[in-house]
Amino acid sequence: MTPLLWRALLRHPLHHPWQLGLSILGIALGVAVVLAVDLANASARRSFDLTMGRITGHATHQIVGGSSGIPETLYRALRVERGFRLAAPVVTGYLPQKGQPGQLLQILGIDPFAEGPFRAAAANTSDGSMNLSALIQEPDTALMPSTLGEQITLQRGNQSFTLKRAGTLDGPEMEGLLITDISTAQVLLGLPGRLSHIDLILPDGRAGARIADELRAWLPGGFRLENAQGRNQATADLSAAFSLNLTAMSLLALVVGTFLIYNATSFSVVQRRSLLGMLRALGATRGELFVGVLGEALLLGLAGVFLGGLLGLWLGSGLVNLVTRTINDLYYTVSVREFLIDPWSLLKGAALGISATLAAAWLPAREAANAPPGAALSRSYLETRWQAAVPRLALAGFTSLGGGSLILTLSDSLVSGFIGLFLLIFGCALLTPPTVVYVVRINQSLVDRLNLLTRMANRDVARHLSRTGIAVAALMVAFATTVGVGVMVDSFRGGVAIWIKDLLSADLYLAPTGTEGGNNAEVLQAVTLAALRTTPGVATVSTYRRASAELGGRPIQLIAAELAPAAQAGYRLIAGDPATAWHAFQTGESVLISEPLAYRQRLNVGNSLPLMTADGLHEFAIAGIYLDYGSEHGRILIQRSSYERYWHDADIGSAAVFAVVGENLATLRERLQERLGTLQPLMIRPNRDIQARTLEIFDRTFTITNVLRLLAILVAVVGVLSALSALQLERAREFAVLRATGMTPREIGFLVSLQTGFMGAVAGLLAFPVGLLLAAVLIFVINRRAFGWTLPYHVDPWLLLETLALAIIAALLAGLYPIWRMARTRPADALRAE
Amino acid sequence: MRRLYGWLVGLLGVALLISVANQLFRPSPAHLTAGMTVGSALGGNTEITGYERAYAPRPFAFPADHGSHPTFRNEWWYVTGNLADPTGRQFGYQLTLFRIALAPQPPVSDSVWRTNQVYMGHFALTDVAGAQHHAFERFSRGAVGLAGVQATPFRVWLDDWALTGTETGAFPLRVRAQQDSIALDLILNTTKPIVLQGDRGLSQKSAEPGNASYYYSYTRLSAQGTVQVAEKTFQVTGTSWLDREWSTSALGPEQSGWDWFALQLDDGRDLMLYRMRHKDGSADPFSKGTLITADGQTRALSWNEMDLQPLGEWVSPRTGDRYPAQWRLRLPAESLDLTITPKVVDQEMRLTVRYWEGAVAVTGRFGDQKIGGQGYLEMTRYEKPVRR
Repeated sequence: MTPLLWRALLRHPLHHPWQLGLSILGIALGVAVVLAVDLANASARRSFDLTMGRITGHATHQIVGGSSGIPETLYRALRVERGFRLAAPVVTGYLPQKGQPGQLLQILGIDPFAEGPFRAAAANTSDGSMNLSALIQEPDTALMPSTLGEQITLQRGNQSFTLKRAGTLDGPEMEGLLITDISTAQVLLGLPGRLSHIDLILPDGRAGARIADELRAWLPGGFRLENAQGRNQATADLSAAFSLNLTAMSLLALVVGTFLIYNATSFSVVQRRSLLGMLRALGATRGELFVGVLGEALLLGLAGVFLGGLLGLWLGSGLVNLVTRTINDLYYTVSVREFLIDPWSLLKGAALGISATLAAAWLPAREAANAPPGAALSRSYLETRWQAAVPRLALAGFTSLGGGSLILTLSDSLVSGFIGLFLLIFGCALLTPPTVVYVVRINQSLVDRLNLLTRMANRDVARHLSRTGIAVAALMVAFATTVGVGVMVDSFRGGVAIWIKDLLSADLYLAPTGTEGGNNAEVLQAVTLAALRTTPGVATVSTYRRASAELGGRPIQLIAAELAPAAQAGYRLIAGDPATAWHAFQTGESVLISEPLAYRQRLNVGNSLPLMTADGLHEFAIAGIYLDYGSEHGRILIQRSSYERYWHDADIGSAAVFAVVGENLATLRERLQERLGTLQPLMIRPNRDIQARTLEIFDRTFTITNVLRLLAILVAVVGVLSALSALQLERAREFAVLRATGMTPREIGFLVSLQTGFMGAVAGLLAFPVGLLLAAVLIFVINRRAFGWTLPYHVDPWLLLETLALAIIAALLAGLYPIWRMARTRPADALRAE
Repeated sequence: MRRLYGWLVGLLGVALLISVANQLFRPSPAHLTAGMTVGSALGGNTEITGYERAYAPRPFAFPADHGSHPTFRNEWWYVTGNLADPTGRQFGYQLTLFRIALAPQPPVSDSVWRTNQVYMGHFALTDVAGAQHHAFERFSRGAVGLAGVQATPFRVWLDDWALTGTETGAFPLRVRAQQDSIALDLILNTTKPIVLQGDRGLSQKSAEPGNASYYYSYTRLSAQGTVQVAEKTFQVTGTSWLDREWSTSALGPEQSGWDWFALQLDDGRDLMLYRMRHKDGSADPFSKGTLITADGQTRALSWNEMDLQPLGEWVSPRTGDRYPAQWRLRLPAESLDLTITPKVVDQEMRLTVRYWEGAVAVTGRFGDQKIGGQGYLEMTRYEKPVRR
């Protein structure tokens, strides 16, 4: 290719900066969203690795226990009786800083004498700021990062602890970490006599495996020896579905962006049809033109990728907070908040952006290369080809829809769910231009009775199908995404609201203070429970104890409950006859499991569930499956007496109180606080408080989804602006002719507005069925596969109206600039320019 | 008095802990090369206020006094010995458990892990035939049963290193230690009565009142049991020596290091003596010794009765420290002229605190007769002079 050819081709975009800018912005936004989500995911993962790494250190294995960790006597026995030396006790947990309940700091309690081979705490001892003697002996000392100041006050329940610095932790991976002596950590976290786990270092290979076997044989029931890396991986996997969902959402933004590039490139080819024909006549080969147009798109893509990269970095640094917060709310605590600029993410974002650009420019470039030499590739020729292509488009659309449906039904993996979803969207997008033609045809009979302008506006849409079709499709995809995600989130929220209201049917809930951070060590004392049961106004009491169990390598929650009949009614069974199920549950040999657990492990009523109890493996029968949105990894509900028998744990974590009918709850709450508060510090909360808190977390979780949805809308609106305004600008000569034949600028404005408004309306209306389809796939396929639960399908008509209004307004806005331009141009000039 | 090394370690207290901290948290090369010597650790805490001190002789009561004296800052149980298997293959061993108080008073106990008592253990085995010396070190807090002392039944332990007595007393004393491929399991029995060192068990360290320790020894114990070196187990018998000492003391600023001897002669006599060195190389007048006859009679030896000379020099290839290669000891009043030679040249303890301690052979003359023996020798603070 000669430089001259390049210059000839590049003149066009340089003389249409408005069009050029919008195209670049489209791809930039798409890339930015993908990159931002990827960076946020990678940063969250990195933060997780750091959080785990600083805790795990060089440990290869861990001894872990039941709900309340490990008794410290087991550690003594391991070292002194068993003579196992590469072992270190760990007491760890999370506490908020006083006055900052959301910001959790990680407490790592260690025994400095056993630490040597395990963790490089990176405490700065060289400058003498490290005082090990104080750390060990004084109850209020910690090694802390310098960012926390000289002292810090932590809060657990209504107790607060002020810690002062006994040494400085250096390095970014130490943020949000406090290392204390194990004695201090036990006090801070309320774990007297307990360890969180015991770290071990075993040799590699067969020797290590032999020692591991020996240790397993030696360990008393209820304690497990686990591979540290595997355990971390299992924890990391908890949020895998969440990350995948985010990535898929971000790809949706890129898909919309790709449509925009296609639109922009094909449009620029159409605009230059005479130039391209001329170049061919002057000797440029088809290949040269193909490469030229593709190269031009590539330049566009590169600019978009660069801009998108910057934008993505900025967006990602904001997004990472949302992602880690959601992970903290739902999965595990990550107290490092690092924004990691992962070069791999940057590379992926750039590659996606550029390949999307090239893929989108492929067809227009071929179009350009096929331009017959000499003769200008006429608009009518192109449009005719498009009209002819309508049946083929429809066929491709239906094929894509069929393929998508097939993939959705044949495979049940989450990834194939997303592939199916994308194929469905693509199919709908391909069907859009034929639909537009069809709508115009139907419309024609309606508008025939109306005035000339309306008829013109209607026909024009179909005549300019090469661009209107794509523009409407892009707009439709963007708004369908909005509708689909919106319906899904609404349905989800509705389901959760009903579920939590049913589940928390008791009037008041009691828990010891200090249990907020998932801390299981604080329990309701027997005297407190006894006093509770005899308090006037209390009708019945349910008790709960939360423990952790493992099934198929995944941690699951075990809830040991003594349920009042009214509390049983709060569980909605989706499998199993309630009367039989609850009866079997009461015997203690049967359990109820949550829907996600049943889905994941393919369990059904009547199956048996082998659980590792304190006495070894025991099989429980599954009596029923209940609806639950509390944990995507599943829960097991077990009769409390049975739990006590098999796990040797008689503690009660919390209690629910059903009041006597007619009892004033505020008075009862005060009475309970008065009577029980003296026995033990308690949190007594009405059910509404907990329900509200649950929904608050839900809303927080979906903040990120809403942000992504808004970004998709933004990409769409930019696309509509660029596509529709370019379309109208291109018709300058046509409008000049109309002006010359007597049309006023006002009438032209009306014509343009009518057209763009019509396209917006078509896109908005088409977005309904596609969006509802998308919502159905998200609800019944994606959510089911990612989280294992079923959601109700609930459509809010307001959401649909909002979307339609937004589509029309965006489209009308897109017409404003061309109208303004046309009104300012004298028709004679426009005509002369040709 | 015994184990000046241990005594100094006791003195270090918190300073030693700081060096432990250095090792545990971000070891810096500078600290590891120059820092892990007694000298650098000496700069640390020598706080003695609040602790009980040894001012006057006290009555000893057993088995209670085999147990802990936590109001004193430092205390140790120190066992050394020479062993041999039926074929004559020789071994030497050392197992020492040190108790160090970080503060005079136990802290307010909000968790059983919280304590002011810390334990350090040193375990070494010398394989004379293989010319190998294995040394190990451990630390632990004296809490949760991880390390500690109890008088009845007598037991002092750190993890699975332990000295275990019986309901009624310390003997027969089982000595057990194991790490990596090295293990020791011995039963020790008394063959001589207890020796109260110094003035009825009060061992004065300097002129300052209170700068003294309570100190008793069993200078000759029979030993039998097993030694394990690299998967091979040896049935062994031999002799051992137990030292017990507790104090809250400080060294004078002019004192720089010491050499300590525990010798068991073939005629049944035992000899404990030490030389404290001044920075100028001269011996401190508080250097002294004790001679224990075969039937357990003791005679105190003052410094001017002894003639102790280092012979030659051995340079540690690993650390560059320069130790005397051999010693000559003359006790004219006892007609003894002894040469003390390490059984293995390199018995340097390259641990958090560096010193040389190992099995030695004794040759020489008692009057006109030849006499032999064996024992343990400790030499401390021979590090290269630090250039300033």
